[in-house]
Amino acid sequence: MPPKLKTSVDHAPDSPPSPTASYYDMSDDSESEYSTIKHAKVDSGVKLLHAKSKVYVHPSASAKDNVAGHIALIQQKASSPRRESIPSSSTANRATNSSNLLLAWSPENGLSSETKEKYSKVEGSASDSPPKQTYLVPPPPVTTQHSANLGSFAFAVPISEIFSILSRPPSSGWWHGSLVVNTRAGESFPALFFHDSECESTQQHRKRLQRENFDISGQGGGMFWGGDQILTWLKQYVTVERSTHEPNIYLIDPTDSDKLSFGSGGKPTQENVRNVLEGKNKDEQTPQQKQRDQKEDPLGKALTQARWTLLEKFSQVTSFTRRTAESVANNKNIPPQVRRLMQNPQVQTVSDEFDSARLYLARWAMGIAEQSERERNRRIWTAKDMLKKEEGELGDFEILEMDAQGLSLADKRKPVTLKEWDSWFNARTGKLERTIDEAKERIFHGGLDGQDGVRKEAWLFLLGVYEWDSTKDERRAKLNSLRDEYIRLKGAWWERMVDEQGTLEEREWWKEQKMRIEKDVHRTDRHIPIFAGEDIPHPDPDSPFAEAGTNVHLEQMKDMLLTYNEHNRDLGYVQGMSDLLAPIYAIQQDDAVAFWAFAGFMERMERNFLRDQSGMRLQLLTLDHLVQLLDPRLYEHLEKLDSTNFFFFFRMLLVWFKREFEFSDILRLWEGLWSDYLSANFHLFIAMAILEKHREVILEHLKGFDEVLKYVNELSGTIDLPSTLIRAEGLFRKFQKTVEAVDKRNNFMAAPSVRQRNTSAPQENAGTSPDASVPSSPQAQIRAAVIGGPGKSPAAAAARRQDGGASTSGREQTVSDQLAAGMEQEKDKVVSSELRDLLSREIPKLHKSDVQAHGGGVGPSQPGS
Amino acid sequence: MSSRKKILLKVIILGDSGVGKTSLMNQYVNKKFSASYKATIGADFLTKEVLVDDRLVTMQLWDTAGQERFQSLGVAFYRGADCCVLVYDVNNAKSFDTLDSWRDEFLIQASPMDPESFPFVVLGNKVDVGEERRVISSNRAQAFCHAKDDMPYFETSAKEAVNVEEAFQVIARNALAQEESKDFNPDFPETIPINVSGNESNGCSC
Repeated sequence: MPPKLKTSVDHAPDSPPSPTASYYDMSDDSESEYSTIKHAKVDSGVKLLHAKSKVYVHPSASAKDNVAGHIALIQQKASSPRRESIPSSSTANRATNSSNLLLAWSPENGLSSETKEKYSKVEGSASDSPPKQTYLVPPPPVTTQHSANLGSFAFAVPISEIFSILSRPPSSGWWHGSLVVNTRAGESFPALFFHDSECESTQQHRKRLQRENFDISGQGGGMFWGGDQILTWLKQYVTVERSTHEPNIYLIDPTDSDKLSFGSGGKPTQENVRNVLEGKNKDEQTPQQKQRDQKEDPLGKALTQARWTLLEKFSQVTSFTRRTAESVANNKNIPPQVRRLMQNPQVQTVSDEFDSARLYLARWAMGIAEQSERERNRRIWTAKDMLKKEEGELGDFEILEMDAQGLSLADKRKPVTLKEWDSWFNARTGKLERTIDEAKERIFHGGLDGQDGVRKEAWLFLLGVYEWDSTKDERRAKLNSLRDEYIRLKGAWWERMVDEQGTLEEREWWKEQKMRIEKDVHRTDRHIPIFAGEDIPHPDPDSPFAEAGTNVHLEQMKDMLLTYNEHNRDLGYVQGMSDLLAPIYAIQQDDAVAFWAFAGFMERMERNFLRDQSGMRLQLLTLDHLVQLLDPRLYEHLEKLDSTNFFFFFRMLLVWFKREFEFSDILRLWEGLWSDYLSANFHLFIAMAILEKHREVILEHLKGFDEVLKYVNELSGTIDLPSTLIRAEGLFRKFQKTVEAVDKRNNFMAAPSVRQRNTSAPQENAGTSPDASVPSSPQAQIRAAVIGGPGKSPAAAAARRQDGGASTSGREQTVSDQLAAGMEQEKDKVVSSELRDLLSREIPKLHKSDVQAHGGGVGPSQPGS
Repeated sequence: MSSRKKILLKVIILGDSGVGKTSLMNQYVNKKFSASYKATIGADFLTKEVLVDDRLVTMQLWDTAGQERFQSLGVAFYRGADCCVLVYDVNNAKSFDTLDSWRDEFLIQASPMDPESFPFVVLGNKVDVGEERRVISSNRAQAFCHAKDDMPYFETSAKEAVNVEEAFQVIARNALAQEESKDFNPDFPETIPINVSGNESNGCSC
């Protein structure tokens, strides 16, 4: 038990100052109670007035990094002179008081057990007023600014230095409510998260409220939470005023000018007037509005409002200047997240580059969303904020569904390690002992471990170098023969170069291709360590890179691409291919193996590089249909912007987002796409997921094709992969359901065929390759989808897969075809053949003849190759 | 000035892959050179505000992929161009030989109102590399440009910022002239409101 120390009362508050008493929510009764307390000698410690446990700092997105601690209101000896800087209605007494008071946070593990006991005594005093007994604790380090440190260290801020507190009550988007302390110097301390469910005192308080008032609401009418209590503490000593501009900001002892600008008092500002004129006055919310606002994510709401305020300001600014950016950055009315963002050098660079304020704002608005996303520990909920409920075409069901899946998939999303991978194979024969689907599912959801080398082996399966059902011996033999073949192909173009074989046209083509490859390899992924060096002299003195030098990996890259040029002379090397090869080579670091893995990848990517661009057009068209189906409102907007050519996705689709993500993310993304687990065209759902994420910005801010293109191009390097993968999967499920619903409707209209199909389902093994019956060339698929009835479509095949095996064959559908023939046209209006192809897991490969006709190479490979 | 409509000039930069289109653009707009630009895929643009004869205009410089097969998608962004910049590498004969086809392809796809008067500017880039590697002489390039309706010609180095500013000044001026000539065309009614008195005062200040 701490000793009761009796000292003179040297800085206890006087009786409540009557002019400002209305600022207090406390009764006079509790005040006077407080003033009778005997105070401790301050030099032996500081006085703990209030404390609350289970208040966490979340230094990273990962819950395991959370640091538990106590928040406390502490009284220290009055050492500093009275603050003269507060000319407000606060009395001198209170001003003194506020500089003696500290709001402190200390991590649990930093407290001695004795101190901890005191904390819990004070916390357990079960009232909003300080305990009558005096508890002294070691003084925490007083700071007014938060160093760059991630906040796992104790800190204490003099109340007089606090400018405002941002309050974010728990909401559906945030499990834990939080407070952010903003100092007068413009610093923001790390958010303190109140884990109310773990906190005894908060639970007690809730129960008490419930008992006393049949109500558990807190400060703003929402559910009572830990943060409310902190504000209640503060209100006993200082003026706490809710900002009218940002209802989630509480101003601490605001000056008159602060109040004028942000608070309720003062004369109407120009902005207030405009708000009233435009019916946007936040002071006059209807009860319904208030209720709705409470439900919304408060941060999101604050940001939306801040954005509006800014938009109004910017609408008067024709050219965005640095000065504007700075004044925005320093405006304390703006939530700290936004200010941090504005101070971010990258944002400032961007603001320098764009002269279009609107485009700038669009990026800025999205940047806020990104920032707030990073500050959350649950990715899964973020989609909810981005897709405003009333506007989101995807609707709530979509998000909920994604949620449920995301949560249940937590285990599945662990990367496949080499150990797990090896456990799938028979130790003796090396044969896969899982189904191919199981293996693909794991890779699709979890990806492969980036550290233990499992990629090196697994990628060869994913890229078709190895058959999934092969034995160890078969794989060894395959690799040996492929090595021989690589050497042969490499020798072929080498001879060609040396002997200058072939027609003039061919020779010109080879010379040009060699030059092209040379130029492109020297500018592909040079930031990756293996491609960075220039440590060997260039073998060709005529090369433009002869002076710079080269390295062995760059030379290997060139050889492999020239070998591909030989291997696929109908197409040859095209720009973008070096981007596709680099990750594969980086993983394999063996030219022959990497070459064949690349050749396997190219089988599905060939269509991107045709001279007539037909493959790219087909994919852009499919994306067009997908957006039309899943987000008509966005589509309509893009139509207005003359952007439905979807050209702004060209780069992403051509090299599978290689320029949008970091190298390490690309490895993870590609292996998922290679699995073809849900769709062989899953990359289009990735594209759709990226588009959906930014739909609000596009809808609200982008006004032309050039702006859309610029905006989408500038996303490079900013896209979060894990959440994009989840969103893409959700979109795929949604798409699948939509197609099924359309088919069901059509089947319902053709009832007899449904019955017939259901009763006569013959056996067909849907196990590993359920879509094997679907023709492989895109053209053939389109024919099949147009001619075939619903049962024969890949949609039904997908349904089959979901049902777990029972399936239909092609024969019965001829009957349903006839019955449904009348509706065929209408059906196609809803689900195009391009869209149906998205349900196929069959890799879209071109026929050799198509490549010959449209490849743009030098014609057929030499006989015998 | 303030009463006048803000002018956006759209400039398309074309030429073989690796001649330095992206580098020239970045040197002009950002005053930066990097040896490690990646090959451009698709299209992108940068904007820059410049004064042309005392008028503030915004230049939108479009950078495209150099490999010819990607040009078939160009229609989407060639439309409404005010000037086309043709770039070649003075150390690469092939890139000079293809200038003609770049020009023709542009005219087909952009289909400007009056193809004969549409402004092109030719840039021979990478003059910093050194005379011993150079394969296209100044005379040859000038003769070519002279033969094609006297296209303005500049020899530049994006790396060392040689002649870049000068070339783009001319590009801006020619683009502005082209943009203003559109105003007399009834097909583009939205660009008609030009403050005539503003133009006059402009003329005086020159």
